[in-house]
Amino acid sequence: MVARRESMTALEALERRTGSNWEHLRIARQSSASERVEITEALDTFSTADASIVVVGSLARGECTPGSDVDWTLLLDGMSRPQDEQLARDIRQVLERIRKKQPGREGAFGTFVSSHDLIHRIGGETDTNMNTTRRILLLLESISIGRPDAHSRVLNNILFRYLEEDRGLWFGSNSSKVPRFLFNDVARYWRTMAVDFAYKQRTRPDGGFLLRNTKLRMSRKLLFLVGMMICFDCHTRFEDPRDRVEFYKSKPVEAVIDRLRLVLAQPPLEILASSLIPYSTFDESIKKLFTAYDEFIGMLADETLLPGGLTKRDHLDTLHVDKIEGDPVATQAREISHRFRDAITELFLTRDTELGKLTIEYGVF
Amino acid sequence: MRRVGFSSGAIAYGDFMGALATLRERRFPCLELSALRISELEPLIEALPHMDLSDYSFISLHAPSSFTEYEEAWVADKLFSGVPEQWPIVIHPDAIFDFTRWTRFGRRLAIENMDRRKPIGRTAHELSVIYEKLPDASLCFDVGHARQCDASMTEAFLILSRFREKLIEVHISEVNSASQHDPISHGAKIAFQQIASMIPEWIPVIIESRVTSAQIVIEASRAIDALAPARVA
Repeated sequence: MVARRESMTALEALERRTGSNWEHLRIARQSSASERVEITEALDTFSTADASIVVVGSLARGECTPGSDVDWTLLLDGMSRPQDEQLARDIRQVLERIRKKQPGREGAFGTFVSSHDLIHRIGGETDTNMNTTRRILLLLESISIGRPDAHSRVLNNILFRYLEEDRGLWFGSNSSKVPRFLFNDVARYWRTMAVDFAYKQRTRPDGGFLLRNTKLRMSRKLLFLVGMMICFDCHTRFEDPRDRVEFYKSKPVEAVIDRLRLVLAQPPLEILASSLIPYSTFDESIKKLFTAYDEFIGMLADETLLPGGLTKRDHLDTLHVDKIEGDPVATQAREISHRFRDAITELFLTRDTELGKLTIEYGVF
Repeated sequence: MRRVGFSSGAIAYGDFMGALATLRERRFPCLELSALRISELEPLIEALPHMDLSDYSFISLHAPSSFTEYEEAWVADKLFSGVPEQWPIVIHPDAIFDFTRWTRFGRRLAIENMDRRKPIGRTAHELSVIYEKLPDASLCFDVGHARQCDASMTEAFLILSRFREKLIEVHISEVNSASQHDPISHGAKIAFQQIASMIPEWIPVIIESRVTSAQIVIEASRAIDALAPARVA
């Protein structure tokens, strides 16, 4: 089992190296850590060896701001019991009592989930949008509150499915060692989020458009990037290609799982920062990327009231789609997301780096 | 061919003489004498000189899984002086109160990785904490416990990778959700085969599945099958 590290050394190293000041990210990390302590204490007796309370979203990513939800799931990996429903209701009550904003009762989170669908239903008709969402977020950004046993087992078992069944990874003629089954599911989830954005625009015309749009361009895109980075890590972590060939020769599924768990134990921004550390010639783009993200977090965290009496976050959440043009907050959000997008293009759509080559090879076709 | 045998406790719980009688005609090369309950320890040690164990090339003794802090010194002394020096003594790390009482055993003491009910000794990381206190102790790798803690067998892989040099004995069985030792299922066999190549062939394998007399031979054959490496490079 791997505990998520609190320090963000790679991100801090990049901050220093590029002469940047990403204070909003620092504050968000600190807020997330305190929130986690508070929630862990409040839910002290709810997790067991067979049931973990798993949190995804901004709190899990270390990007918590004042308006953030606690996107929790009671993850069950053992016998089903009639009391499970009651347990989930009680968790909701405890979080209400300590005034935490929670997801709706009918969504992907805020309820109990069995490990079986997450492990066994990857692809095919029964892998619903909700199941994919739960599985990919569990992999890429989840933390456990309290006992991590079930969470850890389920992560290992999901990774086992992706890796063990990836024939190309072990026996393919391609010298690149990127787990395509996993990569394709991460890419599929990214496209699903983008399609769902359009779907929600149609079904929820009255609000939320701009906040969802900004999150799609920033935190959702970050998640896709991180999914790519963990897949590419399977290839890039070997300095000597001969070591890579030797390593993959014996189909060491468990060793790859162990490595991926170590990487995934870091928050997404830290995973991305670690991947970018070797590329100091790209420091301008690196600075651009993280500065944009820092400003995005700063915008969500800004509690200053605008003339209309709303915070920037609430303004983004309520602004009608017809009024976006010319709106200063909308313009600021768009400008931040464009800088983020441009930095990603500079870093990942280039043949000058190993990451760029892999992105072109795997990320497009 | 792997060297296998049974735990006396699996064949006849609390009745080591009965277990020995049942096992005698099967002529397995390995045996583990079990004193899982503290009340079994003294009678077992006193009976040792009178047992015919000449058929066995490997014998270990399973120490009591639970004793009080006040009984610990007595248990350690009994085991140290009453058990032949060449026999590994398997112990559950969560039973130990004072690790300094057990350092004198050196490699004779085989720490068993635990099932998921236990608070310590389940993972490679948790075992490393124990080996810091008992650096010379060896490892009794319970593959059923490791699978119960992590069905992907990643934790089993980590334990065997990290403590390969310490491995002295293997325990095998299906460990069910109530942490009881059942006969090896097909699912368990598939999982065990994943990491079988990491267990050298000469390591003795003790079967802990609770089986009837009629099931002994078939269970031994299942254990051998489950430790035949499945993965081809």
